[in-house]
Amino acid sequence: MTGQATRNVRAVTVNLLGLVEHPELGDTPYRVSADGRPYVPAGDGGIVLGLRLGESTSGRDADHAAPGACLVHPDPAARHALTIYSCIGNQATVRTGQAAGARGIVIGKRGELGRVVVSFDQHDLARMRPSDQVAVRTCGQGWRPPGFPSEVTLLNTDPAALRQLPVNVSGDGASVTAGVRAVVPSKLAGNGIGRPAVGWDLDLQLGADEDVRLGDLVAVADLDARFNLGYRRGWLTVGVIVHGASPLPGHGPGITPILTGPAEVLRSAADPAGHVGLTEAVVRLLTVAELQLRRRATAACRKQV
Amino acid sequence: MRVASNAARLVTQVLAGEVWPALADRHAYRVGPDGQPFALPGMGGVTLGVHCGDPATGYASDHLEPGASVRHADPGANMALQFLTCVGNAVEVATGPAAGAVGHVFGQHAYVLVDFPADAMAGLATGDRVTVTATGQGLALTDHPAITVKNCSPELLASLPGGTTDDGRLEVHVAAVVPAEAIGAGAGMVSEYANTDLMGAYAGLGPDLSLGLEGLRIGDIVALQDSDHRFGRGYRDGYLTIGVISTGQCMLFGHGPGPSTLLSGPREAFRLVSDTDANLASWFHAAPEVSR
Repeated sequence: MTGQATRNVRAVTVNLLGLVEHPELGDTPYRVSADGRPYVPAGDGGIVLGLRLGESTSGRDADHAAPGACLVHPDPAARHALTIYSCIGNQATVRTGQAAGARGIVIGKRGELGRVVVSFDQHDLARMRPSDQVAVRTCGQGWRPPGFPSEVTLLNTDPAALRQLPVNVSGDGASVTAGVRAVVPSKLAGNGIGRPAVGWDLDLQLGADEDVRLGDLVAVADLDARFNLGYRRGWLTVGVIVHGASPLPGHGPGITPILTGPAEVLRSAADPAGHVGLTEAVVRLLTVAELQLRRRATAACRKQV
Repeated sequence: MRVASNAARLVTQVLAGEVWPALADRHAYRVGPDGQPFALPGMGGVTLGVHCGDPATGYASDHLEPGASVRHADPGANMALQFLTCVGNAVEVATGPAAGAVGHVFGQHAYVLVDFPADAMAGLATGDRVTVTATGQGLALTDHPAITVKNCSPELLASLPGGTTDDGRLEVHVAAVVPAEAIGAGAGMVSEYANTDLMGAYAGLGPDLSLGLEGLRIGDIVALQDSDHRFGRGYRDGYLTIGVISTGQCMLFGHGPGPSTLLSGPREAFRLVSDTDANLASWFHAAPEVSR
C-alpha cells in the first residue's frame, strides 16, 4: 500500500502563498550542543546568504542552515498545507518587495511547524526580506510516475524535477536506481523519525568527517517513508539534503525524502566522490524550463483568442 | 542503589496539575506502518487496567498511557510541571471522589504519567486536580561524574538494585537492552520531557518491523545502546542511556513503547545486570497499592 494514486493520473498544480520567514528565538539565546556546550543558533530559518547548493553540510558554524529562503504562512494549517504540497523542483515567484519577479526553485522542506526551502540566485536573495510574499506553484505530491514499479513510492518531487535527478528505472521496469553520495544506516536517523514524510525532513546524525553536501541525494537503509518515517528491515529511503549540520543532539543534515521502497526494487548507487544531485545547474535548468513552458502556454492562449 | 549522591542538597517543590482529557480531531484516523487507518485510545484521560509490571504491548491502543495523564493548563506552568517532576515522585489527588488517593509518577510523555491503585483510579476523571511533590532534577552521583541523572527521584535511586562496584562502575539492573535501530520519535528532543518511542515492538504486525521488543512491560528498566541523553536525545557510539518504559502499544509508525530517561553516560561507566525484576512494580507500584 502506498499513499499514491495507483493509475496513471496527472498531477494537479495549486498556487499557494508563502511568506519569507523571520528566524525566531526564545527569551534565552542559547541552545545546548550534543557535547553540553551552550551556543547561539545562527542560520536556523529565514534568509541565509552565501550558502550554496554543493557546499559541505559541515562547512559552517551554523544550526540547520538551508541554502536560500525559508517560506512559512502565518496560519498554522495553511503553513502545513504549504509544506506538505510543496515539492522539490516547484517554481517559486517573489510577488512583493525589492526582489519582486525573481524566480526560485523549491529544494526541500523542514518539519514540525513546516518550512519550504527555496533556492534563489544570490543577487535576488540579497534583495529579499522577511515577510516578502512568494507564490509557489505546488505540484507533485501523490503523483506516480508512469512506468515506476508499484513497490516504489515517489514523494515530495515535482514531475519536472524527477527527470533532472539521478533516478533511473531499469529497462524492464522492475527496479529503480538512485545515484547517491552515501548510504547510511537507520540507527543514524534523528529528529523526524516517526513523523509524516510528506511534511518533515529527517535529520541524519552524521559525523563532521562525513563528506555530504547540500543538495546531495543520500540513502538510508532499513527505513520506510511511505507514511510516517520508521524502521523497516530491508527497505530503502532516498532523500535530498536540504539543510546543513546542527550542534543539537539527535539532529544533523536533513533529507527531504523523495523515494522509498523495498531494497530489492529501490536500489542506490553510491558515488562518494563523483555524485551529482540537486545542484545549482539543475535549479537553473528547472527555472528556464518553467519559463519556456509558460511562454508556450501563453502563445497557445493567444492563438485561441 | 548503593551509591553516593547529592540527594541531601535537593529541594522539593509542590506542583499542581490536572488529569487531562484524551484529544482527537474531526478526521479521527491516523496511519499505521502498512497504511492501516486507525482510531485507537491510549493518550490522555485515565487509562484503567494497565499498571507497572503489565505487558506494554498487545492492546488495541495507540501511545498507551497507563494510569492518569497529567498536565497544567498554563503553558509555562505546564513546562515546569513536565520538566521538574521525576519518576518516583508522589502524587495526591486533590479534588473529586478520589481525593486523598496517593500514587506515583512512573514516567513522562508530554504528560506526567501517574499510576494509582485500581480503586482510586476508578474514581478519577479528567479535570480532577492532583498535587505533585516534585524532587529529583539536579540529582548527581558523587563518584560517577561521567553519568548524568535525569527525571529520577532520590527515592527511586535508593530503591534500585545495584550501585557502585569495586572497580568504580555503576551497576544497574535492566530488564532489556534496546538496539540503536529502535530509536523512534523523540530523537532530537530534550530528555527532561516526553520519552523516546521504541520502534520494533508492533505486536502482531510483520516480522520486517520487529526488533524483538514485543516483550517489554510498563515500568521495565531498560538500557538504550549508543544513546546519549545528557543534553537531549541523540546517537553516540559507545554511550548508554537507562530509562523506564512509561508508555506502551503504538500503531502509529515510527512510534512505540517509550522509556523516560533516568541515567546516561559512557558504556564503560556502567555494569549492566540482566534482571527480569528490574521493573518499577518491584519497588513502587506493587499491586494493589494501598490507598489512603
